[in-house]
Order: sequence, then structure tokens, then C-alpha cells
Amino acid sequence: MAITATSTVAMVREKFPQAVVETVEFRGEQTIVLLPEHLVTVCAYLQRNLQYAYLSSVTAVDWLERVPRYDVVYHLLSLTNQCELRLKVRVGQRGEEHPSVPTVSGTWPGANWFEREVYDLFGITFAGHPDLRRILMPIDWTTHPLRKDYPLTGFDLPEPHWGGQVPYDVDPGVGSQTLRTPSGRELNESRSKINPGQEPGEPGSEKRE
Amino acid sequence: MQKQDIETQYIIEDNQPLEGGQRVDTMTINMGPQHPSTHGVLRLILTIEGEIIVKAVPDIGFLHTGIEKTAESKTYHQALVLTDRMEYLSPLCNNLGYSLAVEKLLDIEDEISDKIKYVRVLLAELQRIASHLVWLGTHALDLGAMSVFLYCFREREMILDIFEEISGVRMMTSYICPGGLQADLTPAFDAKVRAFTSIFPDRLQEYHDLLTNNQLWMERTKGVGVLSAQDAIAYGASGPVLRGSNVVWDIRKAFPYSGYEQFDFDIPVGTNGDVYDRYLVRMLEMEQSLKIVNQALEGMPAGAYRVLDPKVAPPPKWQITGSMEALIHHFKFYTEGYRPPKGEVFVRTEAPKGELGFYIVSDGTAKPYRMHVRAPSFANLEALPLMIEGRFLADVVAAIGSIDIVLGEVDR
Repeated sequence: MAITATSTVAMVREKFPQAVVETVEFRGEQTIVLLPEHLVTVCAYLQRNLQYAYLSSVTAVDWLERVPRYDVVYHLLSLTNQCELRLKVRVGQRGEEHPSVPTVSGTWPGANWFEREVYDLFGITFAGHPDLRRILMPIDWTTHPLRKDYPLTGFDLPEPHWGGQVPYDVDPGVGSQTLRTPSGRELNESRSKINPGQEPGEPGSEKRE
Repeated sequence: MQKQDIETQYIIEDNQPLEGGQRVDTMTINMGPQHPSTHGVLRLILTIEGEIIVKAVPDIGFLHTGIEKTAESKTYHQALVLTDRMEYLSPLCNNLGYSLAVEKLLDIEDEISDKIKYVRVLLAELQRIASHLVWLGTHALDLGAMSVFLYCFREREMILDIFEEISGVRMMTSYICPGGLQADLTPAFDAKVRAFTSIFPDRLQEYHDLLTNNQLWMERTKGVGVLSAQDAIAYGASGPVLRGSNVVWDIRKAFPYSGYEQFDFDIPVGTNGDVYDRYLVRMLEMEQSLKIVNQALEGMPAGAYRVLDPKVAPPPKWQITGSMEALIHHFKFYTEGYRPPKGEVFVRTEAPKGELGFYIVSDGTAKPYRMHVRAPSFANLEALPLMIEGRFLADVVAAIGSIDIVLGEVDR
């Protein structure tokens, strides 16, 4: 019997009932949400037994207000059976600066760079990763730009910085960006500013000042 | 981070012990980021022992422009233009991948007419030829065959003229957009494409004459930069790199999109996975692309060039002057954009470089909550150390050329 994405979901549910949080289907794409501690076992099973030999990408999504905060998303592909599958793990408890996910680079060596990218841009660490360094940002960068609380309005400089002299001992570039506190946070500012009143959501949520 | 930490991160130990406990003199050198053969701003940290490469560490990120982050604050229609800038040698294929993803999110795939699909396929294949021509020219130039470069750019110019004819722009066209095309084809389009398709087979033969059986070319490329099929799959290599390693895999066949199932074409594959095979696969792919272009041109149906859904595509200009509703739709489209339902899609397309995937997460607002691009060059580049470690330094240039990276897409 040929393996399809739907039958894969059923098989994973049957074999690892304790690992699956939920399964979602949207626009014909199957998603399995897993518990992080079972990720490596399930991935090894998918790769060896169900011929998901190809890892297309690893990425993450930051749901700022949600706990757990991040989705780490894996897109798998089976060349033999011509089917695709998405795996997800949810990590990031409140106050956890660098949540950790086990690496799948033992199963698919190609995950190495994708996981480095996720680490670089989201600050999610991968336990057991052979070479977890920044990959896109400069290596002395201190923050993680694809997080939703990353300031889009530039760096905070000490007043007065327009027309005044920036003190020499302040490095306006890397190392001194401050992430805004939740109360005064410019949450992805241009998202909330455009068309005030037209974005769905509770009324008054646009009022920040 | 302390300065010392930074240094330790980058130092690759000299004089590392090799097998047998014998210490050999090695040297660490930089190749790039300013190097004509790295096709952009790739930096390779090479540990060499004489002429042999012991260890190669690619260092990327010099062209990181934060496109994924920028897309989060643009509407779906505005984010389209960012996709051109990623893989700047084949912007139309990027447009196509992005448009298909947004259309899947909106669930309007069925409304896309055959005319739109045919034009998209035609342009994507022309773009593939253009991209491969740049690759062929620069790859041959790297290996010392200068004249090929000039010929390739001559033909690429014809394709860019076609793009200029229909969209007004030569490179960053953004012509394929969610919901169809930005504008209708012009009357001169057909003749221009036919002019190209009639001369291109001869020109392709010219390149074959120059390189394929050329003794110098074969010595520089055969048996060089070998990537086995297992490694290619394990490292997520795609496109001609994967097919060069004798893996029959093409997303146009496996998951046909935009009506590719209606076209007749073959998947060329290599046998050894060396630089020569990847060269040959791309050369044969151009032939197949030309075949698809001809089929699309012959079978081009009539029809609208955009879906007739004012929520997704702006109404035509002539309506705006006469209809109040059209004016409102036009205004709403450009100021507010459209709101796909909550959800996420991942759409794969076969770009000239390989598997191009767009992962778009919608939170129900008019802007993508997250857009991730699975860039083919990124994964292909990851396999580069496998091809060059233990080989000669001079082969690095051949291997880089053969995987055909575009750093704009690697770094995004």
C-alpha cells in the first residue's frame, strides 16, 4: 500500500499515541503537532520506516502572546511515495529566553544549517546540534531579529540623539539594542499602525499612547 | 559577546593531527567574500594542505537583507516585490511560487484560468532558460572559457527583452502576482517569443559544440565535485544538483502546479553526480524548457489575465473611471489588501536552482504573519563541503559554479 500523508498521520498516531498533541489538516496539507521530547524518535521512524528521506526545511513561528511561544516547523518530503508532511513542536514557556528543541540533524544531516538559521533568527537552541553558531547575522549580534518583539524602529539611543552628540562610549550598532518592555512595546509597529480601526481584534487595541 | 569568544568561533586549528597521528602542515585561507568565482558574497574558510582541501567551512550572511522580516509588515500584494529580490536571476519563478502559495491560502486555485496558467508556465520556463544561461556563462568563465559567456548573455538579452515587452521591466518584473498577472500580454509578445524559440536550438547546439565534448572542459569537470545520491537526498539538495546525482525527482512532475501536468517534457538526470553531470543536466533542461515554451505558445488559450474577484485582484483600469464600486474596490485593494483566512500553507515549486518553497502563515489580517522561504541554493550550498573536501583547491571553483548559487536567496 502506498503511503500517503493521511495514512502517515494515522500510522504515527497509532504508533506514538503519547507523542502526538494534535493533527491538523488545512488546504490538503497534513500537520502533526508533536511533543518536543518525542521528536527525534518520531523523525527517525518517519525517515527509516515511512521513507521520508528528504527534509525540505526547518523554520519557526513566533506567537508572542501564546504559551508555549514558538512553533518549530519541519517540512518533510518522501521522494519514493511522493507525499509531503509537516511536523511541529511547540516550545517556549513564559520567561524562557532560549527554549530548547532536540536536533534532528542526526536523522537528516541537512537540518544542520536550517537549525542554525532558526537559532540565529529566533534564539531557539537545538540540543545535541553539532555546530550551533549564528549563520546569517554577524556573530557578535546579541538578539534574534525574527522574534515578534524585535524593535522595528531602530535602536534606542540615549537622548538627545537628534541634533545632539551621541556619546562616544555608546555603540549604536550591535550589542546595545534594547528590546522594548511589554508595557511600552512597539509590537511590530507598522502592523498595528496601518489602517487603525480596520484590523480585526478587540476595539481599542490600536491605542497605544 | 567578548572579543575572544568571537575569535575562537572563527579559528580553525592549524596543524591538526591527521590519521596515523602524523601532524601535517596545514594552512587556513579565506576564499571570498570578494572573489569573482564565488558568485556573489560567499566566503569559504578553507584549510588546505598543499593543494588539497582538508576542511571547508562556508560562511554566509553577507547579503542578509531580512526579507522574511520585511514581508511581515507588508500586505500580501506588496510582499510580492520582495520575492523578486531574493533570487534575482529568476524573479518570475519566485513570483510564481509566492503567488501559488497566496492563492492556496485564499483557496482560489480553481478560479485561475488556463490562460493564466499557460502564461505562467511559459514565462517560468523562459526564466529557467535565462537563469541557466547566466549559470552556463559564468561557470564556463570561471573555468577559463570566456567566449561562452558572451554568447550566453546575447541569448539572455532576448529573453529579458520579452520580459520588458510584457511588463516594462527587464529583471524585477513582479509580473506574476496572486490572482493572475499584472497586465495582459502585448500583441508583440507572440512574435518575440517565436523569434527566440526559432533561433535557440541552434544556439544551444553552439554551446554543446563549444563545451560538451571539449577535452579541456571534460578534464576540469568529470569526476570533480562528486555528490552521491544518498548524500544529495540527506542534505536536502534539489534541482539539477539532485538530478545530477541520478535521482529522478522534479516537482513539476511529482506535484504538478500551475498546469504542468498538461505539458509533455522529460526529466534529464546524470549518472555520477559530478560537475559534468550537473552541467549536462542543465543543458538538457534548457532543451526541455524550450519544448514546454513551444507547447505553451501553441496551445495558448484566450481568456482573462486576472481573476474576476475584486477582493483579490484590482479591477481593470477602464472600469475605475465609470464604476463607483470598482473605484472603491481599487482603493480598498491598494490601501488595505485582502485577508486570507487563518492558516498556513507550504507550496513547493521547481525553480531553476531547485526546490523553492514558500511557507506562509496567516493570522487573518492583511499581512502575512510569517513568511519563510525554503531557498534551494541554501540547501545546495550546505552540500558543498562534501563535494570539495579532499579535492584540489582549483576544483572548488568548478564545484561552486556547478551548484549555481545565488547569494541573494541563500541569505535572503
